[in-house]
Amino acid sequence: MNGNQIIPTYTLNLEGEPCPYPVVYSLDVLEKLASGEILEIIADCPQSFQAVPEEAKRMGYVLLCEPVQEGPIIRFYILKP
Amino acid sequence: MLSSITSLYHKLFDKFWNPVLVTVIAGVLSALYFGITQTYWAVTGEFTRLAGHIMSWFGFDPHQLSYMKIMKFQGSPLDRVDGWVVSGMLLGALMSALLGGNFKLRFPHQKRRIVQGLVGGMIAGFGARLAMGCNLASFFTGIPQFSFHAWLFMLGMATGSYVGVKAALHPLLRGKPRLEKASPGTRNMQSSRSRVQPVIGLLVFCISIGLIVWEISGGHSKLGLAGIFGVAFGLLIQRGQICFTSAFRDLWVTGRGTMAKALALGIIAATLCTAVIIYLGVPQKIAWAGPGALIGGLLFGFGIVIAGGCETGWMYRAMEGQIQFVIVGIGNIIGAGILAWGWDHWGLFASLVKPYPKINLVSELGWSGAILSTVGLMLLWYAFASYWEKHVRYKANQKGQAVLMQANVEMKELS
Repeated sequence: MNGNQIIPTYTLNLEGEPCPYPVVYSLDVLEKLASGEILEIIADCPQSFQAVPEEAKRMGYVLLCEPVQEGPIIRFYILKP
Repeated sequence: MLSSITSLYHKLFDKFWNPVLVTVIAGVLSALYFGITQTYWAVTGEFTRLAGHIMSWFGFDPHQLSYMKIMKFQGSPLDRVDGWVVSGMLLGALMSALLGGNFKLRFPHQKRRIVQGLVGGMIAGFGARLAMGCNLASFFTGIPQFSFHAWLFMLGMATGSYVGVKAALHPLLRGKPRLEKASPGTRNMQSSRSRVQPVIGLLVFCISIGLIVWEISGGHSKLGLAGIFGVAFGLLIQRGQICFTSAFRDLWVTGRGTMAKALALGIIAATLCTAVIIYLGVPQKIAWAGPGALIGGLLFGFGIVIAGGCETGWMYRAMEGQIQFVIVGIGNIIGAGILAWGWDHWGLFASLVKPYPKINLVSELGWSGAILSTVGLMLLWYAFASYWEKHVRYKANQKGQAVLMQANVEMKELS
């Protein structure tokens, strides 16, 4: 999917949050979303760069595009199917 | 020429490295380090000595403490192998974070995290020193020494981290996420990287090399070599995001076994290489296998989860600019200092450590027994992590949840 077409429903800002909270918060929010809603996750803890998408995919959520990295900050767009 | 250097740079620093590859390299390097310096890759011993320096600033003579005698407390960090490895690790992690463009000053926006970092760091520092090492000397480099105390420490750490996860997800600590309705409008979907940071990273690299060369040419080749290994370890743990804490914690939080499996393989590599070094005649490092190691492991496992990272974890994260982990480091040093005090004054040594034997698996089981049992323990742990990943998912599915250990964060924003 082209990034410009993604319209997120919510933004979860995880800047400054250390482990394990990025993964815990992300999965918690994703679970509470309605089907078809998109979560935008902003993170800056490098460990969450791998753990968040990996765990989201494992739980059946869809990573809509490659994570967008702006310097030390990363953004994920995840769909609840 | 220039283009091949640029492409190599992007290959190395655009993405984090595969954790299995990194732990195996770290395992082999740690054995070489042991062969060259005759001491194992460790950091909390040096933190204890730093606590000793702080005690002396406040007018207390740390040389009176018997723990400081065990730690061979003398000179300054730059006179000690452990001091050079710790400094090297900090420089290596800083260089790596900058080269990868990962540096950013990050402040925890929830104030409770600062308390968590300090208290968790203190508990972890205390526990690690009670067990004579953190998850390096009592785990990653302790198990390959065939010292049974590391087995007890691992058991304690697994249990302690489970309790730690329960506490970290308690309403008091888990806090609230910053969740908002997404702002409308298009987003910049183009990834970008810092151009300045890699240049500073290169500068840190040159400074590190300069310091090491200066030390070696001054006749202290062992200290210089420890510095080189330190830089390599720092680079590896930052590039691989090698978080020993997550090896246990992630199993209990979401059932993620990635780091647990990577560490199991890394320790197997370290065990085989360390065995060769010991066989060639370098004396083993064996610590007391008693309640000190077990309770130390429990406290350590609990503390690192509350704090968010262990000793190696805070070192590379502090160098990435994560302020919380600078606080964890301060906590570690305070905790190690309290232990050194309590060793004599609270009778910790006499009651929890001294009455128990130092069990050397090589002299107990012979070479083949020691290697087979150690590799077997790691394979068992690998198998457990694989099983656990599936088990957690199955259990969660049965309950109709995404994860088994839920945080149940309330989100008003969602209603």
